[in-house]
Amino acid sequence: MASQTDAVRATYRMARPGPLATLKGTVRDVLSRRRLIQYLVRADLKKHGADTLLGNVWWILDPLLTMLVYVILIAIILRSNREAYPLFIFCAILPWKWFSSTIGAAVTGITTRELIIKQVNFPKIVLPIAITAGGVVSFIFGLVPLLAMLVFFYPSHVSVWLLALPIVAAVQLVLTLALAIIVSALTVFYRDIGNLAGHLLRLWFYLSPALYGTDQLDKLASEHPSLFSIYELNPFAAIFESYRNLIYYGQAPTWNLLGLVVLESLVLLVVSVLVFRRLEPSFAKIL
Amino acid sequence: MPPAIDVRTLGIRYNLRLTRRNTVNVTFRNLARRRRGPTHFWALRDVTFHVDHGESLAVIGPNGAGKSTLLQVLAGILEPSEGVIAVNGRISSLLTLGAGFDTDLSGRDNILLAGAFMGMDHGEMQGRMGEIIEFADLGQFIDAPIKTYSAGMNARLGFSIATAVQPDVLLLDEVIGTGDATFKAKSRQRVVELMGAAKAIVLVTHDMSWVLDFCNRAILLERGNAVAAGDPTTVVALHEERSAMRRTGGSPDPLPPLDGSGFR
Repeated sequence: MASQTDAVRATYRMARPGPLATLKGTVRDVLSRRRLIQYLVRADLKKHGADTLLGNVWWILDPLLTMLVYVILIAIILRSNREAYPLFIFCAILPWKWFSSTIGAAVTGITTRELIIKQVNFPKIVLPIAITAGGVVSFIFGLVPLLAMLVFFYPSHVSVWLLALPIVAAVQLVLTLALAIIVSALTVFYRDIGNLAGHLLRLWFYLSPALYGTDQLDKLASEHPSLFSIYELNPFAAIFESYRNLIYYGQAPTWNLLGLVVLESLVLLVVSVLVFRRLEPSFAKIL
Repeated sequence: MPPAIDVRTLGIRYNLRLTRRNTVNVTFRNLARRRRGPTHFWALRDVTFHVDHGESLAVIGPNGAGKSTLLQVLAGILEPSEGVIAVNGRISSLLTLGAGFDTDLSGRDNILLAGAFMGMDHGEMQGRMGEIIEFADLGQFIDAPIKTYSAGMNARLGFSIATAVQPDVLLLDEVIGTGDATFKAKSRQRVVELMGAAKAIVLVTHDMSWVLDFCNRAILLERGNAVAAGDPTTVVALHEERSAMRRTGGSPDPLPPLDGSGFR
């Protein structure tokens, strides 16, 4: 009897699609749910600042205040004498704000949607995608104070290279999306990631040339060349330096370093999507 | 014509080691004492049935038998660990109503969001907006955030959205008891209408009068197995007899699972 049941069970078995089919299916799912992503983004923006006095002004104020904190700390207390220091760090703070807030939201992106996941079947990957897309909007708002600062305070830094900003932003977008996807899925299994994420992000920020330039690492570069090359593997080293080249120095970004980041990010994106899709069926069971 | 729902040797397995309270700490402890205790649990196993067009199937059974899990599989929320399922046509599931709302958004926004989650066409949802608001009877509250709603208003809106779509396959899970008496009557009528329009229905309920009134077939689930199937009167009688034994403190002998191949 038991063996007969096993034979019957073996007759009906669902095949798991291969990696290529999974990727294709994901792209199709996401395209067919554009509207859902749009609503999620809009809902997120609507909520953001809906209950504060200044509302959406906070999107502009927030990076400015962060910059002010670092300017006070480094330019005034630590007496750095880099020219146009506020602009120098704003080039990094703005993109970092985008990255860290997206990852921070992605950490809880799946777990906070617990109830809807248990009620309706939809491609869960739209959740981290919508979070990432929402981040782009607030980044664009953040560009307003940056451009204002350039025009009014540092007109000598304005150059045609500003037009290349979308290229660097696109590179960062791919990296952010990849991390948002994988982090949102893993948090379902390990809630600890939520506690850890803030600290890891802060460490990552200080390990990246945000408040200082790579040029200040000459000592490290000459004494420990191997350590320095590891440092350069950090995608945010290349990303921050690229932003800074465009905005602060008014010159071309280091294309080959940026190209490397593109490559890393694309590989990470594929891996993230595959991992996400592999874990997705368990979400409704574990949440 | 293929059946509206075709389920063969369906099994749903829960991994007991992967729960929401899984922390790194617990994981390491689990790794340390691997092969101790059961590692998984079959919420459903070897369940085979089909629902033809025009049929309505009742799924009955004691608590924890796997009824809601079965609906979740049919709705596509859970993936079978074993076996296959095929559902032909658009599904609407009236699972726990209104629980998935975004409480910071207005009722109107939530209608659109819920429609998008269900994969409804945008134009269709816009078109039904008036009807949904009307049925939920929320008045000007529809533009207030959901967090200001009472539990009843919340449930009414949920019910209204879920029943606004015209599904081919309707899944119902104990939805009849929402709201006050007026709304209860209204919703009962709505469900009856939908049941008339749907091509196939699966109803999970503890209310046997619904089973006898609206279903032409029933299956009895116990401990994740389909143990009886067929004419509602017979299956309900069996279930009530076994429930009566449980109520008086007895435990009826477990019934052998139905052999899937013999189910017709």
